[in-house]
Amino acid sequence: MPNGSEINASMAEQLSALADGELEDTGVSAVLGAWRTSESARSRWHSYQLIGDVLRSEDLASSAGKDASFLAALRTRLAGEPVVLAPEPLVPQPVEPMWPAAANGSAAGGRTAAAGRRWSWIAPSAVAAGFVAVAGMLMVTQAPTPGVDSGATLASSRPSTAGAVVAGVSALGASGSFVEPTALVANGQLIRDARLDRYLAAHKQFAGVSVLGTPSAFVRSAATDAPKN
Amino acid sequence: MNAPDADAPLIERVKRGDVKAFEMLVVKYQRRIERLIGRMVRDVDLVPDIAQETFIRAYRAIPQFRGESAFYTWLYRIAVNTAKKTLGELKRDPLITESARAIRDDDDETSRTENELSDGETPESLLASKQVAEAVNSAIEALSDELRQAITLREIEGLSYEEIAESMNCPIGTVRSRIFRAREAIALRLRPLLDARQGLRW
Repeated sequence: MPNGSEINASMAEQLSALADGELEDTGVSAVLGAWRTSESARSRWHSYQLIGDVLRSEDLASSAGKDASFLAALRTRLAGEPVVLAPEPLVPQPVEPMWPAAANGSAAGGRTAAAGRRWSWIAPSAVAAGFVAVAGMLMVTQAPTPGVDSGATLASSRPSTAGAVVAGVSALGASGSFVEPTALVANGQLIRDARLDRYLAAHKQFAGVSVLGTPSAFVRSAATDAPKN
Repeated sequence: MNAPDADAPLIERVKRGDVKAFEMLVVKYQRRIERLIGRMVRDVDLVPDIAQETFIRAYRAIPQFRGESAFYTWLYRIAVNTAKKTLGELKRDPLITESARAIRDDDDETSRTENELSDGETPESLLASKQVAEAVNSAIEALSDELRQAITLREIEGLSYEEIAESMNCPIGTVRSRIFRAREAIALRLRPLLDARQGLRW
């Protein structure tokens, strides 16, 4: 591991806050950066953790050499492991009208173009079993009235285990609702399924008609994934 | 003990593919896991290997960890299962049992006594551990009341910064600063003990 230079007091305080789970996201990124480059940062984290352990139980006192050797050995083994990925759900997107009737005269009409690109699905064949878990799908329903986006209902499915690809349809809402799933992100990359894109493109012309009239092959019943607020 | 949420920021990063975040968690839990395994397994030489295996299995299973229990609770179960599995394999393997018997015979001729040190400790490392514990204790006593109270509420009572702020009637930023300064004061006293040997590289 690179040794880098001594860390400053600000980084040390961030390490301390992270040890308590009380550090904001940008700080976490900074700490992980320091971890990669600075032995001082790694040693400091170890000291803080050791102090906590010893305060709670003196028989956890340990020489740092033993602990450092343990991590060094584990690092070698971790280097041989495939990187695990458990993609997180996106923040819910604002509801967007998808049909021309809604687009006419609607301030939100200009956003329709964006909706298509947020489509995403992970085809089962594309998933390396065990390493990608669908963390959740956000399904947005829109009231049939064009231009009204305050009536949207958001529901999210709970994170699912890896191994099988799951697309949870959590809520289809009122009758005549259009359902727009948001994107799935795996490690920051959108994954597309062209079949679904075409299906949706074909159906968006029909105002007020539920796009997913019958559950498609890609969609699993909501009963198996309890929706969670 | 730490509130379950304390590990959430790092676990999120591990789930996003950051193995270094996992390393940080390993450094946090390695001692507790080794102590746990040491209570289940009589052969102390097995402890580090089973602990390593535990963390590898945890790493692979991270996608299945959903935060429904505390991370340590989940890790604890993996450690217990890994230890049991290892012990079971040793029992079933006649070759290992034979050689283990042979090793035990050799041991009778060596200096292993009934007072065998636990956890693979040598007299030197046991002394080092004792010195670490003593240094922490005397450093804690030397802290100002405010710093000692802050770190005690955090590490022993497991309160959040917000709860500590309420308890000590000060801003959260002050809590964070006091805990940090307490840790720094104790770490300073530990530094000569922990950095003592060459090649002790993180």
